[in-house]
Formats: sequence, structure tokens, C-alpha cells
Amino acid sequence: MSTSATETRDGGMRGALNALRHRLGLSGRGIVVAIPTLWLGLFFLIPFAVVCKIALSSAAIAQPPYLPMLKAMADGTVQITLNFGNFLFLGQDDLYLKSYISSIEIAVVSTILCLLIGYPMAYAIARAPERRRNVLLMLVILPFWTSFLLRVYAWIGILKGNGIINNALMGLGIIHEPLVMLQTNFAVYVGIVYGYLPFMILPLYANLAKLDENLLEASADLGARPLTTFLTVTLPLSLPGIIAGSMLVLIPAVGEFVIPSLLGGPGTLMIGRVLWDEFFSNRDWPMASSVAIAMLVFVVVPILILRSVEAGLVERGK
Amino acid sequence: MKRNLFLRVTTLLGFIFLYAPIVSLVVFSFNESKLVTVWGGFSTKWYGELLGNEQILEAAWLSLRIAFLSASIASVLGTLAAIALVRFGRFRARTWLTGMVTAPLVMPDVIIGLSLLLLFVAMEQLIGWPAGRGFLTIVIAHSTLCMAYTTVVVQSRLSDFDRSLEEAAMDLGATPVRVFFDITLPIILPALISAWLLAFTLSLDDLVIASFVSGPGASTLPMVIFSKIRLGVSPDVNALATIIISIVALGVLVATLQMMRRPRRQA
Amino acid sequence: MDSKAPTASTARPWRDASAKPFVRIRNVTKKFGEFTAVFNLSLDIYKGELFCLLGGSGCGKTTLLRMLAGFENATSGVIEIDGQDMARVPPYARPVNMMFQSYALFPHMSVEANVAYGLKRAGKSKDEIEARVAELLKLVKLEQFRTRKPDQLSGGQRQRVALARSLAPGPKLLLLDEPLGALDKKLREETQFELVKIQETLGVTFIVVTHDQEEAMSLATRIGVMHEGEIVQIGEPREVYEYPASRYVADFIGSVNMFEGVVVEDEVDHVRIRSRDAGCDIYVGHGVNCAPEQTLWCAIRPEKIRLQREKPEGDANFARGTVEEIVYLGDMSVFQVHLESGRRIRVTKANAARFEEDAISWDEAVYATWGPEAAAVLTT
Repeated sequence: MSTSATETRDGGMRGALNALRHRLGLSGRGIVVAIPTLWLGLFFLIPFAVVCKIALSSAAIAQPPYLPMLKAMADGTVQITLNFGNFLFLGQDDLYLKSYISSIEIAVVSTILCLLIGYPMAYAIARAPERRRNVLLMLVILPFWTSFLLRVYAWIGILKGNGIINNALMGLGIIHEPLVMLQTNFAVYVGIVYGYLPFMILPLYANLAKLDENLLEASADLGARPLTTFLTVTLPLSLPGIIAGSMLVLIPAVGEFVIPSLLGGPGTLMIGRVLWDEFFSNRDWPMASSVAIAMLVFVVVPILILRSVEAGLVERGK
Repeated sequence: MKRNLFLRVTTLLGFIFLYAPIVSLVVFSFNESKLVTVWGGFSTKWYGELLGNEQILEAAWLSLRIAFLSASIASVLGTLAAIALVRFGRFRARTWLTGMVTAPLVMPDVIIGLSLLLLFVAMEQLIGWPAGRGFLTIVIAHSTLCMAYTTVVVQSRLSDFDRSLEEAAMDLGATPVRVFFDITLPIILPALISAWLLAFTLSLDDLVIASFVSGPGASTLPMVIFSKIRLGVSPDVNALATIIISIVALGVLVATLQMMRRPRRQA
Repeated sequence: MDSKAPTASTARPWRDASAKPFVRIRNVTKKFGEFTAVFNLSLDIYKGELFCLLGGSGCGKTTLLRMLAGFENATSGVIEIDGQDMARVPPYARPVNMMFQSYALFPHMSVEANVAYGLKRAGKSKDEIEARVAELLKLVKLEQFRTRKPDQLSGGQRQRVALARSLAPGPKLLLLDEPLGALDKKLREETQFELVKIQETLGVTFIVVTHDQEEAMSLATRIGVMHEGEIVQIGEPREVYEYPASRYVADFIGSVNMFEGVVVEDEVDHVRIRSRDAGCDIYVGHGVNCAPEQTLWCAIRPEKIRLQREKPEGDANFARGTVEEIVYLGDMSVFQVHLESGRRIRVTKANAARFEEDAISWDEAVYATWGPEAAAVLTT
């Protein structure tokens, strides 16, 4: 009968696949682990090795624009050229140190501003009646799904010389000269706060929503006024949410490129932009690579440490 | 009462802050005047211009294809990684996998972009593949980046999953692979879909990484938009923004209505 | 004449030395890291039995069940089902099915699809599956719910779906993890009868895990009492209740009055135990054969004790006290009596008559008395 024929056919193929698998010593589990691990190993890990290698070479007018590390010489030896000049330059030139510090400054200030705006909003949503809560949350998340680039672009139109704010203020006669808001650090703060506000609100909301109303009532019952209750009960208990939200804003903000590029001025130094300029404007791949390595060491590693500290705090708070 | 007023006012201001720029994009897309922010009358001509702009349309089509493929690859890879991390206990490559999966979440885009480009260049020199950069390299790059996000989403769902359902299926004669496709997959499907959507959005919106790993002739929509807006505001960009916002708003509305209609959570 | 096929409860294969056990558990130990859940456990279960593993939480009964199902591997020891060593056999290849405590119904499938799942995996034809599903839904009386999804069913209905699903593939052995735990009292009683009836009709061997001793007593052909990873007694319900092997078992099953005492006379036909606890001598109508002046315990069930106003005859097996509390439960009354020795004992009496003139009331001085066969003498 046809059913049994298909069965044997299927069985035959499956049997053959199984036999091949066993020959190669692969288990089902092994395959599940291997696929993502190999992919990431190839496309995530190895690139870093390549970056290191390039960071140690010199720029050249060539395609690709750097000198090779290994060169086979005529007498059979292989010459290895390691150029540490790029790293030395990093340390010597003011620009990189300043950008590094400036990036952190800007990121920290933006995070604090974001927190100041996001906390009341998250609190209000958490206290809102059940039905309205979902609508409010949807309204908070919606901007996230639209283009980040375009939302930053919107601020160009708002902040520029003949932009919306200036036109309105001038039209109302409040000012006579347009305010310079674009291409300043101020615009970058606005941009970061605006772009990352949903990331601050959601973890805060998640935390505040779990807050037991009874605790607040108990505090009031014991004689605390609303402000005191907030400072002594709500705020400490919402600390994990504050930390989570702040990490979600701070960490990407340090390495931001789009916002400082579109909204910041030539004086706005952020490390992500520096790397981009080295690569695209100066065509100095080795230099860009060494900036990348420096970023990794001085930005990413501290972030990883911060994150494990955060995880530790969350665990202990539980 | 005073408390409530403060909260309500700040929340209102907050939402105004969130939506005013979006509203301004939409409003000024209908502005007759080329000076985007100076109102010159109502007009839809910029939409016409937009739809006639070959460069933008091609870029949009390219970005959509890239996003679709990247999201799908990232979802599959992310699911595999999530299964390994949630179900397999301790295995040899576990710390490596965990590290590599979460690292892109803290890595600035510029570094990811640069490193992948350098890899592709080196690989091309060594083995001749990938021959030239463009669609393929962007897909690889986006898949790698988005995988971090899809893994987190699926991982979170899987660790919440009621194992007894899988045990029941095994007890009734299903092999582990069967259990996955019959039981696990259908039940975590909503999470998979959100992971896919997340990856799709991230890919569609990515500027930095695409700029690094792209090649001649492969300009994604963000790349085209960026080069335009670097030079200043442009009304057809407003029109494009309005179209995107409308699509997204519609999608989110539909999704929220769907979620509100489904009352219970399953396994 | 109706000739009923003998069930395990009537045939009692465990009393037959030549009977071959259906499930053999030999010296099974299960460790989770440092923690030993099951220790050197050996157990034989016969075909057609409804065997109950009874114990408190953490005693290892669920671990043992999961080892039988194949979800855990024994650290050491052998498990054989129908003569086959289950050592490396995965759950999907065992002739065993399990009914989960949480029912574990597949939420995205209808009742029909749930019940049919095991049959599909076994590769049965569509007609076979349909027929079998219909048969089982009829057995558990859920025919009209066949297209519903689990979240549209009540707790009791879900339990029946879970049962039908686990019986559909026709397993040789069915494992049930606290099957009645989630049901309310009335439903539980009804379901108990149904469960036993189904088991006897189908002739499938059941192993039930429960912490509820009433449940075990009503369901089981035999009970295995577990404590801290070991089996402390196996027997038919009556054996375990009336002849407990240890104080733990006596205390765990039902309520009991435990009196500590010292042996003063130990003969072939009787033993006399002096108990300060009880404030009297306890005379038991059989010998115990232990060391002289050994400390023993006498377990006397509340229903074996009688309360009377007049002093009983003889010099043993009665104690004086005051009725402190009477709880009327309808079918019986529970008396709490404060003995002269200081102990409080529990005595129950069936309310055989609707009205009793001159019944014993609060604060009365009474004698609690019991017969020479009432006490179970325990050495551990």
C-alpha cells in the first residue's frame, strides 16, 4: 500500500540522516548549540581579532587602505610589521581623551534628565486604572516602533534657526533674534532623552506596577505625609527599576552616533562620532580600529562590570 | 489631590513631549512651502514627489527585503540559542554562547559595524567570499545584531514555559523534536512573532552598521535618508515619515486590540 | 450467574509466592547532588493492582513516580516493567503513561486532539484514532465537550480529559500524580469511585501518588507508605491501618492514641505493658517476644475505645478521665478526654441512634476502655 511505501521511504531517508549524524558524532543537542555558536563565533568574535590586527597596521593609499601585517620577503623570511603608533597617538592627542570624557558626561546628564521626566510618567501610568494603563503603555511604546532616525530628524525642524520654536517665539514677539539650539550639546541632550524615553519608562513602570498599595497605606497609617512616604517607601523600592532604566539609556547613549551627528555641533565630541569620522572622513582604517579597541577597553568593559553589579543588586534586592 | 494634579500635569507634558515632534513631522509633510517649517499652505505634492523618487523607492524595497530576511534568520538563530541556554543546563560552550549573545546589546553600533566590515574585507582577501559588499553582508550583519534581541525575547518566554506540557507529550510517545514542533513552538508563537517584529524594526531602522558593511549600489533607506537630512530639512522626508508613522500606528493599534481581546494567558 | 473476572483486589497476587510482579523496583537510589530523594528502595507491584504511594511532601514518592515514567534516571538500582529493564529507555518509548498533577493539557488543542495525541504518535490510522477517542470520551462522560479547548472546561472536566488522554494509548501501566488533589470534596468522592471502576474495567495497573491518606485508603489495593525516601510499610489498606509497622505509619494514617509503656509481663499468649502515659496497664492478647522491661508503644485507634460511666472489670485496659470536648460530626461524634495521667485522648463513637437518652456529656467523669485486641504494639 502507498502508506507503507512512503513510510519506508521516509524511514529510509531519516535512517540515512541519522547514520550520517552518528558518523559525524553529532547529537541533536550538539547541533542546536553549534549553529548559533558557530555563527556568532564567526561573525561576532572573529571580527574583533581582525580589528586588533588592523589596529596594529598603518594607513596606506590602497584598497583596502592599510598595509598588510605579514609580508613574505624575497629571502624566504616573513616580515611582521606591528604598528603601535596608532595607540600612542590615541594617548597623545587630546581629541580622544576629551571625546571619551565628553561622551560619558553627555550620557550621564541625558540619563538623569530622562529619569526626571520618565519617573513621574511611569508612576502615573502605574497608578492609573487598569483599562487606561494599557492604552497609555501603548502610547509610550508606539514611538519606539517608528524610525529612530526620523524622530531625531524631527527635532532638526523644531530646533533650527527658522524652526518651529524660533518661529513661534519670534512670532509672539518674545525674542527678536533666533535662539541657537541646534548643533549644540543642548540639542544632543534633547535628542537622547527623546529617543530613549520609552526605554526609561518601561522598566520603571514594570517595577512600580508591582508596588504593593498596602505599603503606601501602611506608611500613611503610621503618620507619614505623602512626600515622606514617597521618599522613604516608594523611591527605595523602585530602585531596581531606576537602575534598569538608567542602564538601558546610559549604555547605548555613550556610543551614540546619529544624535550627535545630526543634532550636535563640531564642538560636540562623542566617541562614536570620532570613530565614524576616522573611518569615513579620514579613511584611516587602522586609526578607526584603534579607537574601537580603546572604546572596547574603556567603555564596553566598564559597562559589562556595571551590568554584573546591577544584576547583583537586583538579586540581593529580591 | 495636589499629588494627583502634579502627576497628571507631568504625564500630559511628557506625552506632549513624546508626540509633538511626530505631529510636527506629519503636519509639515502637507506644507506647500519648501521651507519645511514655514507654513505656506496645504499641499500633498511632496507625497507625489516621494512616490516618484526612484532612489528612495529602491532603497525602501532593499531595506524591506533585508529586514525580512534578517529578522527570519535572527529568529531562527535566536530560538536555537534560547533553547540551548534555557534547556540544556551546563554544556561546554555555555559561557561563550551567553557572552556572545548578550554582548551586542551593550556594544555600540559603530564597533559592530567596523568589526564586521573588516572581517568581510579580510575574508574576501583570503577566500574570495563575500565578493563585494551589499545585500548579503548587510543581512549577515543585521542577523548577527538582531540575534541578541531575539534570543532575549525567546529565552524569557521559554524559561516561563510549563515543562509538564512537554513531559506529557513525551510520555505520550513524542520524541524531543516532535515535542518542540507540536507543543513548544505553537505555544511560544506569540513571543516568536514579537521577536521577529523587533528584529524587523531594528534592521529596518539601522543606519550605522549598514553604512559600514554596505557596498556600492546597495543603499538602504536609512542611509538615503541620512545623507539627505545631513544637508538639512526636506519636505519629502516628512512625507516618508508620515507614511511610516501611519503604518506603524495602524499595526500597533491592531496588535493592542488583539491583545486586549485575548483574556487568558496559556502555558 | 454472573461470573466476574477476578481483579487484583480479589485475586491478591502479592500473597502468591509464585506470582511474577509486573513492576520490579530493585534497590533504587536517586540523588540530586547532595540530597538523597530515594534511598535503596525495593518494591514489587503486580498486574492489575491499584497501588498507592502514600507520604508527606518531600518523602520521594513523586521522584519515584517520575523514575517509572522515565523523566528521571535512577542513580543506582534497577527498574523493570513487564520484565523489561527500563534503564536507558526514554519516556516516549515506555509502555507507561502518566496523568500529571496539573493535568498538563495542551492548551492549543481541543479535547479531541488532546486525547488523540498519544494515538497519533503511535502511528494509528485515522479511523482507529477516531474510534478510540470516542470510546474514551464515552468512558469519562465527556462526549459533548470534544471540540472544546481546555480553558473552556471546569477543573473536574479537565481532570477527566487528562485521564482519557493517558488511557487512550492503552498503556500497560498508568501513573497518576495526585489525581484528585485539585478537586473539591464532593467531586473527589465521586471521582474516587469512578477511578476504581475504570481501573477494574480496563484491568490496567495503576500507581497513584498521594499525600492524602483517605484517598489512598479508598483507592488502593495496596498502599506503600513512604518516608524520607524509603518505604516504611506495604500492605492492603486494612493491614496498614490496623497493623501499622511503626509509630510513623500509625500516626500518618488516620488518628491514633499512642501510649508509651514498659513491658512487665511477656508470655506466649499475652503481654502486659505498664504505661504511665495512660495511667494504667495495657493488656494485649498476644505475645511480643522482646527484651524484658523494654519500652514499647501501644497504638489504639479512637474508634476502638469505649466510654462508660461505670468502672470496668479487670485490672487493665481502662483509664479514668474527664470529657473535655465533644464534636458532633453527624455520622459520628469525637470526644476529647482528659485522662488522670494528664494525657488527652481522642475517642470516636458512631451515632447509631438518632437520639440517645442519657448520652455522655461535657465535663463528665468517664472510664475509657478497650479490648485486648485493640492495641497495636509497636517497637519502633
